[in-house]
Amino acid sequence: MITSDILSAILVSGIVLGSGYALMASGLSLVWTTLGIFNFAHGVLMTLGAYIAWTVSDAAGLNFGLGLAIAVSAAIMIGVGILIERVIVRPFYDHRDILLVTVMTTLAAMIFMQKGIQLIWGARLKQLAPIATGNVQIWQTTISAQEALIIVVAPLLLGALWLFLDRSRTGRGIRAVGQNPDAARLIGIDVSRLFIITFALSAVLAGLTGVLLGSIRLLTPEFGSEPLVKALIIVIFGGLGSLGGTVVAAYLMGLLEAALVFFVGIYWAPSMIFLLLILVLLIRPQGLLGKVVR
Amino acid sequence: MMALHGGKLRSSKVWLIGVLLIAGLLVPIFVQDSYLRHLFIISFVYGIVAASWDLSLGYAGIFNFAHVAFFGVGVYATGLTAKLLGIDPWAAMLIGGVAASAAAAIVALPVVRLQGVYVVLVTFAFSQLVMQLVINQSNLTGGTQGMVRVPTIWLPGYNFLRDYKLGYYYVAFGLLVTTTVCLRWLVRSDFGLSIKALRDNEDYAVSRGIPIALQRLKALVASAFFTGIAGGFYVIYLRVASPEVFDFSTVSLILSMVLVGGTSSIYGPLFAALFLTFISEGLASINNFAEGRFMLVALAMIVVLLFFPKGLASALPAILARNANQKRSRQSGTALADRALMTSSDKENEAEAASHSGVR
Repeated sequence: MITSDILSAILVSGIVLGSGYALMASGLSLVWTTLGIFNFAHGVLMTLGAYIAWTVSDAAGLNFGLGLAIAVSAAIMIGVGILIERVIVRPFYDHRDILLVTVMTTLAAMIFMQKGIQLIWGARLKQLAPIATGNVQIWQTTISAQEALIIVVAPLLLGALWLFLDRSRTGRGIRAVGQNPDAARLIGIDVSRLFIITFALSAVLAGLTGVLLGSIRLLTPEFGSEPLVKALIIVIFGGLGSLGGTVVAAYLMGLLEAALVFFVGIYWAPSMIFLLLILVLLIRPQGLLGKVVR
Repeated sequence: MMALHGGKLRSSKVWLIGVLLIAGLLVPIFVQDSYLRHLFIISFVYGIVAASWDLSLGYAGIFNFAHVAFFGVGVYATGLTAKLLGIDPWAAMLIGGVAASAAAAIVALPVVRLQGVYVVLVTFAFSQLVMQLVINQSNLTGGTQGMVRVPTIWLPGYNFLRDYKLGYYYVAFGLLVTTTVCLRWLVRSDFGLSIKALRDNEDYAVSRGIPIALQRLKALVASAFFTGIAGGFYVIYLRVASPEVFDFSTVSLILSMVLVGGTSSIYGPLFAALFLTFISEGLASINNFAEGRFMLVALAMIVVLLFFPKGLASALPAILARNANQKRSRQSGTALADRALMTSSDKENEAEAASHSGVR
């Protein structure tokens, strides 16, 4: 029987999951809508951001404050994002199969960075210090303050991203490039610059997600793999067309996963999600909420 | 197309294949070392996986990233039926192939209807799903610990565990040759022409009556069958299985073989697999470099994609020029130009393929 405390537990853990997924998937979706490429290195960017923050903040590392750690991590992520765009994406803009080629290059980048992280930091488990400590009770469920922070910060970050894309000159330029790069270039938009900004922004988002999740999960070199796979499924569900669709799909996915974990158990939840995915795609090949993307 | 390459080139190719076959048969006489033979066997397995991936990725142009998962399905289907059901390992290998084909058919269900990036996403998601299942059902599969003590093949009066892997070598070599012959036959058949036509000009091929969903399904199922058998042999030979076969790093390793060898040739990925297995295993034996070699593999992939998009083989002239030519005619120009002004050989291919399937 579903009592109110069970419902509360499912809802709260679903929203915690969904918040992380939304941050993760929005970065992927941003790059997809603007550049038309799918960045498989997105998950490992999240790992890298968390590891850098750990090195700066942890007692075993440089032992500076968490605030500085986040700043350093974000700064380095900007650099890494630009580097990825420059080296393994830019050379293929005129390629006929840009999508397939960049899937391969970003996959290679993912392996490169993941193994690099393993060589630098070792395979031993690490954990970031939480930004907020203590526990918080929401409705009838008690969660850690860090999880509550994620619930609050995710919509704030996503809202800021939306404001940036909707209101600022640069943000509008990014959307214009996403809709029609040739027309954007014709009216004098610096497309190349916006591609770089998009990639850097997406990398920073990934890094921040890593910092937020790095204190409620354990850091391993494979830290970003599972969120990446979830983000894959989310963008399939939500369609890749819009940021809004992706965010909605991310929260739905979080709730669905929390409910499935409760009803069919943690072992069968992933399989059920995949079955559902196949069904959705058979009925709506463009995704549950998406428009046709070619 | 054949007419263009008749005569000298063709006969020199027959010679080359003959020499390679004999060389392959003679290797164990000169290579007595058990570890070196092991490397040959593993490289043959990877050769099958890479070459059969070329059928769905290269020839059919399906963005199929579940191929290594099909290999894993073969590994576990064979391992489980041989170990838990006590089925004869030879038959279990075949079951591995059939199971991989069945998995491919399931994936094909959504994939044949999808476009571009969605195919990539669904196939990747499927790989992760299979890995999750294997890890979760740990009482059957051994979970992350892996499956151990899988029974191995035998022949009347012959024990495969003796002779420094001599028997395994010939089984692997036999599988590799059989697979290559089958794949070459497939890609040159009407079926092969039709999937190439669909890849190069989907609208035109469909308008000439090629059933797109059916041909793509067949391509996926066929390429999965060979990789499934290879998976079956892999587990029978090593006698252990681990969920690492589903890992992103395994995918990138085999993908690098396909890319280095160049797509749409079958031979390219095959020889690249032989070559790269020796390099990669050689590097793995260097101290603490088991992980680092994957960084090199990743770098190699990027370098090849940046500078040798037709595969490293395209950098070698002479004999391999034939393959390069074939690909150059396909990749010339932009997508738009391709549609408007197809090169004559492609046009012939397509028209031929279309009329064949129309007749049927």
